[in-house]
Amino acid sequence: MNGPEPEEILNRAAGAPHEVDPALLARISDSLVSGLRPVRPLPPAWVLASALFAITAAVALAGGTALGLKGIARLNALEITSIFGVLGAFTWISAVHCVAETTPGSRRRLSSGTVLAAGSLVLAGVFALLFHDYRTTRFVHQGLVCLTLGLAHGLAAGLAGWLVLRRGFAVNPMAAGLAVGTLASLAGVGMLELHCPNLETLHVVVWHTAVIPVSAFAGVLLARFIRRNN
Amino acid sequence: MQPDIDLKALMVRYQDGDPVAAAALVHSLSGPLHRFFMVQIVSRRYADDLLQETWLRIHEVRHTYRPGEPVLPWLYAIARHVRVDHYRKVRRVETRERQVEQLPEIAAAPAEASDRDADLAALLSGLPESQRDVITMLKVLNMSIEEVARATSSSIGSVKQKAHRAYVTLRERLSGTRVTS
Repeated sequence: MNGPEPEEILNRAAGAPHEVDPALLARISDSLVSGLRPVRPLPPAWVLASALFAITAAVALAGGTALGLKGIARLNALEITSIFGVLGAFTWISAVHCVAETTPGSRRRLSSGTVLAAGSLVLAGVFALLFHDYRTTRFVHQGLVCLTLGLAHGLAAGLAGWLVLRRGFAVNPMAAGLAVGTLASLAGVGMLELHCPNLETLHVVVWHTAVIPVSAFAGVLLARFIRRNN
Repeated sequence: MQPDIDLKALMVRYQDGDPVAAAALVHSLSGPLHRFFMVQIVSRRYADDLLQETWLRIHEVRHTYRPGEPVLPWLYAIARHVRVDHYRKVRRVETRERQVEQLPEIAAAPAEASDRDADLAALLSGLPESQRDVITMLKVLNMSIEEVARATSSSIGSVKQKAHRAYVTLRERLSGTRVTS
């Protein structure tokens, strides 16, 4: 004779009553009710995402303008449309994802890791398709300068983004750190595309794109540090 | 449990500072929440602690509920976070204190649960935590796949895959038990 199927056992368990100590419920109710005050719910997700998008774009634009718009001056219309189109889409998806990561019970279509990996690969692919100068002049030195500048702008965007997200609650702090780090990095990449006049393929593909995973990793480390000290 | 539409209205009133709504939410949602913890850890004392911690956290972050959104995914997302946080703290304490004294094993605490909860916990004990959560929410708490996906911060496809894998494992375990017996 066959034994019970998993569904049967689970259905039996689901149908069984489950009592909680009434005294415990009364204690919890009392602690919640005492000094209960009205709270203002979070704004709609699209409002927060728009604010994050605007901050990222503003930091990129401010940085690019301050350092000189030498990069965009060297790009043709197709390159400008492709690069900033992809950057804009990636920034919007990252902003929406950041809001979801700091709102419990939000709908997710992608994980933070997928957003990071897919966005970085698409951007690197666009760079590789658009630029065909395969020289590597002062590859490491110039690359490190761009990486540092990109990360500094990412830090500024991350701090400003935190102001928008500070009322949220991250149920998975590491994933939220990864998401915020990814979004913040896009301010750095945007600034580099406006400012950096070096259009050598490897420089752009390696060093400009590297800002994204490095910043995302920094976001995870920061989240880990905050969680450990809470 | 009451229909979700009532929970949404109660949550809005709770956010507005209505004590009657707060008490109603505690009374209607604590049973399933407590069961959610019992399935994972068996000991009633720890489930009681987690229930209290969860309500305190819910109270702190009640503003993160958006009116009109489903309540259960929001609630269980916070409950899962509290449980993970709790394990992390216990592990940290165990690591620090193991050298001077032996702490009791939480998972091996005496089974104070009802027979059915204990059976269920035993049945699900071999599953990875993510699969156990999915099965508990889908089958024991009767949440929809969409709600479970939101509560576990996953996609609907991922929830279906975890549920399928869990069923395969459970069937294998049950058939293995039958052969042995």
